[in-house]
Amino acid sequence: MKANGVSGSAPAAWLAIAGLAVVVAVPFAAVVLQGIFPNLGQGSFAGPFSSFIATLNDSALIGMAGNTILLGACVVLVSALVAVPLGVFRALYKVPLAPLFDVLLLVPFMIPPYIATLGWIMTLQPRGYLQQILGFNLAPFLFSLAGMTVVMAFNTFPVVYFAVSRTVEAVGARYADVGRVFGATPARAFWRITLPLSAPGLAASLMLVFAAAIEEYGTPAALGRRAGFQVLVTGIDLRITDWPIDLPGASIMSLLLVALSLITFLGQRWILARRSYQTVNGKPQAKDKRPLGSMRVPVVIAFAVVSFLATGVPLLSILATALSRTISGGLAIDNISLANFIAVFSNSAGAFGALATSFSLGIGTALITGAIGVMAAYTVVKTRISGRVAIDVMTILPNALPGIVVAVGLILAWNMPFLPATPYNTAFILLLAYCCILLPQPMRYATAAFQQIGDNLEAAARVFGASSFTAFRRILLPLVFPSLASAMLLVFALASRELVASVVVAPVGMQTIATFIWRQFEQGSIGLGMAMAFIAIIITTLLPLLLLALLRRSGLVAE
Amino acid sequence: MLKSLKSIALGAFSATLLAGVAHADITVYTAGPQSLIDKMSEGFTKETGIKVNVFQATTGKVMARIEAEASNPAVDVLISASWDTATDFEKRGWLVKYASPNAAKVPDFLKSDYAVAQGISALGIAWNTKSGTPKPSEWADLAKPEYKDMVNIPDPAQSGSSFELTAALAAQDNFKLFKDLKADGAIIAGANAEALNPVLQGAKAAVFGAVDYITLAAKKKGESIDMVFPASGTVIAPRPAMILNWSKHQDEAKKFVDYMLSDAGQKMVADQMLMPARTDIPADRPLIGDLKLLKYDTADVYGKRKDTLKQVSDIFGGK
Repeated sequence: MKANGVSGSAPAAWLAIAGLAVVVAVPFAAVVLQGIFPNLGQGSFAGPFSSFIATLNDSALIGMAGNTILLGACVVLVSALVAVPLGVFRALYKVPLAPLFDVLLLVPFMIPPYIATLGWIMTLQPRGYLQQILGFNLAPFLFSLAGMTVVMAFNTFPVVYFAVSRTVEAVGARYADVGRVFGATPARAFWRITLPLSAPGLAASLMLVFAAAIEEYGTPAALGRRAGFQVLVTGIDLRITDWPIDLPGASIMSLLLVALSLITFLGQRWILARRSYQTVNGKPQAKDKRPLGSMRVPVVIAFAVVSFLATGVPLLSILATALSRTISGGLAIDNISLANFIAVFSNSAGAFGALATSFSLGIGTALITGAIGVMAAYTVVKTRISGRVAIDVMTILPNALPGIVVAVGLILAWNMPFLPATPYNTAFILLLAYCCILLPQPMRYATAAFQQIGDNLEAAARVFGASSFTAFRRILLPLVFPSLASAMLLVFALASRELVASVVVAPVGMQTIATFIWRQFEQGSIGLGMAMAFIAIIITTLLPLLLLALLRRSGLVAE
Repeated sequence: MLKSLKSIALGAFSATLLAGVAHADITVYTAGPQSLIDKMSEGFTKETGIKVNVFQATTGKVMARIEAEASNPAVDVLISASWDTATDFEKRGWLVKYASPNAAKVPDFLKSDYAVAQGISALGIAWNTKSGTPKPSEWADLAKPEYKDMVNIPDPAQSGSSFELTAALAAQDNFKLFKDLKADGAIIAGANAEALNPVLQGAKAAVFGAVDYITLAAKKKGESIDMVFPASGTVIAPRPAMILNWSKHQDEAKKFVDYMLSDAGQKMVADQMLMPARTDIPADRPLIGDLKLLKYDTADVYGKRKDTLKQVSDIFGGK
């Protein structure tokens, strides 16, 4: 591999490749090999491809694949419908209470999807909280494709909202103003100039939503089964956990999921490759936002309604459950009890250990994926290295790999008897699992950010004598840092609540927040699980906000 | 900035690393309740000085881990929630023969040469006492109009004991009861905990085939729920403990099984509202002698597993 781009990019490329090899290639190769060689777990290479026919001949497979695509498409559509208008208003206009709404719309990231789903079930099912308060329930809606779509979209739309508001803000009103000068109506200027220029961020975020939707396990498992709606992930989980276990079949089905997400990714790449989206070019930008005028009230109402549905309902439901002495007691004054919170704070069942483990793993994952992501994105976007497409594809592979399959791949790879030392059965295996699952996030955000930075900025720095490293550190990194920082905060939140891989791969004797909550649910202690979930959500929301505030003060991130 | 990032990374690294390297003397994988294995290993360590490292998950996830680890296994003692596991592992030749001296009071049908029950759970009807429905006493009651749309059935594909109950009852009348339940609006509702939760809140009135110890523990906590064991018979799920033949600590593992079956260990089982495996340990709940068990041939039932699950999913639609 020879570097011949605008800069001597070899170090970034090599670091990215080394990181990707450990974090992505190793477990992915194990999954592929497991699919081909059914007895890999016993260390045998007998009977290659013997599982393919049996797995792919399963008549239910086409239905599951169809349902998966349908669900993914519905979630993308609803997320876009909710998030794009809000994001555009947030970027171009002075929305009252904007910082508050930003925080409220950040919270859904922090609510684990399975918890949010359980919250919705406890609110909308017959005799749920809604019926206890208002006298009716929405169970038929909840347990349907529509209900599943809405619950999942409320969990994922912030990805789109923050991507759109940031990219539209970066594009600014300036280009649209040029259009206006040449006679375009405001609507025309928006549709033909602002929105197309924001396409990298929008497309990247919609693709993340699609991948997250087809990979999500908790919500389809809880809501979809009742609607008779089976998706690939629930099928994979059944193959892995139903005795006799079918690891090869699960691997092959996961590769199908990965193929689905690769197709969307290549589609996104193809759309973006047709034109340039460079809008950050060193010219000074006016950041003035416009007043909303007569739209002020409807826009605030829209923000408030979405915030309430996405954040308020699940949080209140979680809190109500956590504060109930008994579930059957319902919403009643004499049923309020702090016992569940006291149990968490008195460290019952190892609650503190779980919090500490998850948060340190979350920080570690954010730092590692951020570093690999920014180097890989730089290599892919800003250099002409041959093989950079392979790097790009590698960072997308884990996107649709279900957590449980990553876990199995990691065990297969790192538990081989001839390894002199192994991260397996230490916390490092969880770190590897989280990095693999979450690497696509910083990578996609950083790629979108690099795509908007003109090549002339780096070139100018080089002309004035900066080394390639200095140019990267002093010019490019600060410009992509806002995007990268938000992606890393997202990774922190997602890593500290990851469930499916953690349950299988966690070292003996170690609990994370998610496995703690899940164990409480399994034993029927829903209230204790919800109390832990509430505390974890509050901490995962406050910690990143605090960090952002500190970074702002130090001038690293612009307001 | 990079420097400080580096030091944070190193800090997080070493913190997580240190958490994982504590070496234990034996490793136990269990599908039982976390609090039970926590208490049991604490008591065991106090008595013998041997440390216990625990991995706890559902039977399915424990098995997935053992299967993936097969080339370099780590587990010494396995406690599954399904006797089927013990039969299967014995056939594969993965188990060590052991007859614990403390197992003398364990009835013969709860032990084999290779495995012995830790405790037993039974299935029954979990019924919300405030649901406004009459108290059911028989499986067939739940197909009556009073329980229209009010019954949850745990997914037999996700739980070994639910599957055995389904197979045993279906064999009696060729799925007629399940067709009646479907006609009365009963639904298949996920694994055991998922099926019970709506009954606690009152969205449903009863679980058809609930795991007893979870329900009894909820009742003890003050939930308005009761457990009914139908007189026509039910199924039990003994939880087999077994020692794996690749274990490098077989003597310690045997000591653990002894402790599990000791007076102290069996009392911990009883405290979880499970039935103790030993008949001479008292418990605050109905015991095996109080229950009528459905008669069926386990090998036969599991031989037709795929077919039975397909029939159930045809009746209840989808899936």
